[in-house]
Amino acid sequence: MAKTVDSFRFLDLASRKIVKSWMEREPKHDIPWTPLRKPLAECTVAFVSSAAIALKDDQPFDQEGERRNPWWGDPSFRIIPRGATERDVRLYHLHIDTRIGEQDLDCVLPLRRLEELRAEGFVGQVAPSHYAFMGYLLKPKEFLERSVPAMIARMKQEAVDVVALVPV
Amino acid sequence: MGLAAREFEAAGFATVTLSMIPNFTASVGAPRIAAIEHPFSSPMGQAGDAQGQRQVLRAVLEVLTTAQRPGEIVHLPFEWTEPPNPLPGHVEKPPIVQLIKRKPWLYLKFVSGDIPEADTP
Repeated sequence: MAKTVDSFRFLDLASRKIVKSWMEREPKHDIPWTPLRKPLAECTVAFVSSAAIALKDDQPFDQEGERRNPWWGDPSFRIIPRGATERDVRLYHLHIDTRIGEQDLDCVLPLRRLEELRAEGFVGQVAPSHYAFMGYLLKPKEFLERSVPAMIARMKQEAVDVVALVPV
Repeated sequence: MGLAAREFEAAGFATVTLSMIPNFTASVGAPRIAAIEHPFSSPMGQAGDAQGQRQVLRAVLEVLTTAQRPGEIVHLPFEWTEPPNPLPGHVEKPPIVQLIKRKPWLYLKFVSGDIPEADTP
């Protein structure tokens, strides 16, 4: 029998209740749809990670701001260039075990795996830029109105076809 | 993540959203969902398991060609048999968890989605 993923397996009881309550109150959405216009083997792929990854020489995500006000999350984003590895980055998310991604970045942002799939011809190109933000955003307005449009503009400049979103 | 996926899709990119909580991701209207039963700190698979991570990534990207309708969830077959947090030692608890431990009544605000502007710990 085909597997059905259990949405609640890795959530504790308190988090399950929160997620279920939010789901129930979510209005019905019209869902946008962009068809894949060419074979994957000809597509340029960009990743978006919510693991709050930043290059070591870039500005860290604001952990102190969240510690001061736990209802707040840093709405900014960082560029992670093609070829980055765990040697080049730090993770600033306060809701996950960041040591795993800092030990092996491909656990949260699989750039090496994407290069391998490109070498196999499974995808066309790896985008020059990938994107990371901090996924704990109870009020995502600023993120959606400022950070996401800036990512979209850069993706268009870099002729991205496909966006793969990898949450934590 | 689902909310961001909608924006990218509407801007003309074909998106696929990996999700460990696919029911929730679907509720916010993500266009294509690759559901996976992996822990939150390691969505792509075990550290050091390049082959396993590659299988996951291939399966995620294939959803772009198999999903036929907006909002479709494709359940990936991968199993996680290790403990959810394989590394020993202390990890700082999220600030909101620390706050609610001190002020348990605030949990109800979290559940109801009535998010305060600020509450200094």
